[in-house]
Amino acid sequence: MDTIPIPVTVLTGFLGAGKTTLLNRILSEQHGRKLAVIENEFGEVGVDNQLVIQGDEELFEMNNGCICCSVRGDLIRILGRLLKRKDRLDGILIETTGLANPAPVAQTFFTDDEMRRNFRLDAIVTVVDAKHVTTHLDADDESARQVAFADVILLNKTDLVAPSDLDALEERIRGMNAVASIHRTRDCGVALGRVLDIGGFNLDRATEIDPRFLEPEYPFEWAGAYQLPSGSHDLVIGHADDDHHSDGHHHHHHHHGGENELDVLVMPVPSLGEPEIAAARDTAAAVFAEPERRVENGGRITPGAPLNRLLLDGGDGRFRLEVAESGHHIVFEGCGEEPLHIQVGDDTVRPSWQADYHAAHEHSTSVSSVGIQQAGELDGKRLNDWISALLRTQGRDIYRMKGVLSVKGSTKRLVFQGIHMLFDAKFDRDWGPGPRINTLVFIGKNLNRSALTEAFKACLAA
Amino acid sequence: MQLTKHWAAQLDDYVIDLAWAPDGTSLAAASAAGPVALYGSPDGVKRCAFPGHEGGSNSIAWQPGTALLASGGQDGAVKLWDTAAGQHVATAPLGRPWVEHLAWRPAGAAPILAAAAGRKLVFINPDATVRHAFQDAPKTISALAWHPLGSRAAVAYFGGVCLWGADDALAQSEFPYGNGIHALAWSPDGRWLVSGNQDPSVHIWMVESGVELQMSGYEGKVRHLSFDFGSRWLATSGGRDVCVWDCSGAGPEGREPVMLAHEAPVCGVAFQRTHGLLASASQDGALMLWSAERRQPLRATVRMPAAATCLAWSPDDSHLAIGSEKAMVYVLRCDP
Repeated sequence: MDTIPIPVTVLTGFLGAGKTTLLNRILSEQHGRKLAVIENEFGEVGVDNQLVIQGDEELFEMNNGCICCSVRGDLIRILGRLLKRKDRLDGILIETTGLANPAPVAQTFFTDDEMRRNFRLDAIVTVVDAKHVTTHLDADDESARQVAFADVILLNKTDLVAPSDLDALEERIRGMNAVASIHRTRDCGVALGRVLDIGGFNLDRATEIDPRFLEPEYPFEWAGAYQLPSGSHDLVIGHADDDHHSDGHHHHHHHHGGENELDVLVMPVPSLGEPEIAAARDTAAAVFAEPERRVENGGRITPGAPLNRLLLDGGDGRFRLEVAESGHHIVFEGCGEEPLHIQVGDDTVRPSWQADYHAAHEHSTSVSSVGIQQAGELDGKRLNDWISALLRTQGRDIYRMKGVLSVKGSTKRLVFQGIHMLFDAKFDRDWGPGPRINTLVFIGKNLNRSALTEAFKACLAA
Repeated sequence: MQLTKHWAAQLDDYVIDLAWAPDGTSLAAASAAGPVALYGSPDGVKRCAFPGHEGGSNSIAWQPGTALLASGGQDGAVKLWDTAAGQHVATAPLGRPWVEHLAWRPAGAAPILAAAAGRKLVFINPDATVRHAFQDAPKTISALAWHPLGSRAAVAYFGGVCLWGADDALAQSEFPYGNGIHALAWSPDGRWLVSGNQDPSVHIWMVESGVELQMSGYEGKVRHLSFDFGSRWLATSGGRDVCVWDCSGAGPEGREPVMLAHEAPVCGVAFQRTHGLLASASQDGALMLWSAERRQPLRATVRMPAAATCLAWSPDDSHLAIGSEKAMVYVLRCDP
């Protein structure tokens, strides 16, 4: 007798973010279905005739207190009891406390075959208080974890936040978790189809997500948009003009490339709309791959190709930027560490938009995503050896791992997901007629993109 | 050996526990939804229907030698029912956590009902007054078993087992175990204390000597344990096989167990009380009878439409009661 697993939705989020609002919304709109709720505080559910059970966050540490191997004992018990019904439930909602680490909750569904057979972790839904989350993300690991673990993120309370702040927040969250679907909400108003029964993780959307995440790294580290009049302006690198350098941007991470060289490309853009910026970014990536033109300190540069390699004196330089037509210009900088300013007359122009192309290095939380897309067939044994070794050594830092893989000798897709050191892999359906593309995603701390990519490629069958 | 259908009864929900009256004249059945009903052994006619517990019942237990039935439920209460009079006697509210495990002291001077609710262990008198409330266990109590002489109760939780004295309510020993424990059983001679574990394995303590044995290699967590009345055979299951260990002499470690095969994960094992037959049930609805010395089932397999949730032999071993996931109670007669 095959059992159809019951879908489980886990709601996480800090106190006050709106978890209970979402929970009650789901329950009042889903009255036709038989749902059970496992809540962390009694009496939060304001909908009658619902099966509500209170959890108590009991942790079972399977391996000497290692959180990567901890599961929720109370959930095992409650879920086990929920199976003892003549009629099966249509779904289960688990609300966690604001400070809860989602890992033990998620790992509970990997505890044993019985759990795997009877339940399916449909999605971890994280409700984020758009107004206060930045403070939390700066201050503690828990909210970063809740973002990192999410399959769905609700940016809630959008009415309390300025649109530009919201964009910045979404950008930051996207940098941490590149695969979650993000929805902006007020009072958790979201179509329930986007939160319930979303069918687990879906890597099909990996192709729609931020290209920064899946594609190879960009050859530039920083870009800034400036409104420039036509004419000849000064492009200043380094601390040549100390009076103004605080208006520039500064990074204090590693330096690489020639100490006295900086690659710069200036691209005119018709506007600062998202598609225009993306087009300029892609063009810039192509230009960076072409041969460069070397420019001595004091030399002259113009917008557009080719790439300018600026030659500096002790890290400093001053160049003439000749602008033919006034308008928005995006400056792409090879090394994001170098302070860069544009002076029009006596004024330093501030960038009206900027982006860092090293999300992983940018945030103090250092939670990031690494995606790998690669055609080809994998050698099953190599893959297994690699994943086992990787989880053994880095499982603590890898919060979630998801993949759809093409393994040599099988016509079916290998669908794979892991939480810290626990993982589950099964073949689901046949690959279609198109090319078999492996997609693998890591979300966690201290992820080394190039090392992961190289190791993955080494698993390809010869 | 012949198994024939004697009678069947339908509850309102999943059959969560079954218990024969000590005199064998009736069978009590608890549904996961709450109600507890009493059926006459000869005919399956419903004698009493008790409301049980709001939110659902979890377990039932008869006080030895009496008509007093105890039940524990999701409401955090232990309730006592006079089955002769057909009425509720008293309630012991233990708090918010569910009352999941109940066990009457099998023998001894004073009758005691041990009840576990969350991390709490309580000894209760037959009038529902609390005889002793213990300090909280380190984790939620997952199994409970009295020593056959009634001298102590073994209490399991994630991380170990503690033995509590019946009369003085003092801790006698604590056995650490680094994983979850799903079941506990004493051998009828009191020599062996056995746990079925999450890891998945069976662990055995010889309480007097301090010797410990560990049997691993199970397909899944071990949730079902049953000793035969002679204390020689220990039936265990954690997967598709019933694995029967020979506990004679120095015990089963290093011996090859007898493996009795089902075609689906096993969901119950029960030796007869004073005879040698073993009943086992699996998720596909199969029920088989075995003798520990043979690897082949004794009779053609009985097929039920749904998986068994509990197995209970009548006091004289003449009848086997089976509860099912689909709310049915079946009573089979076992003729030699």
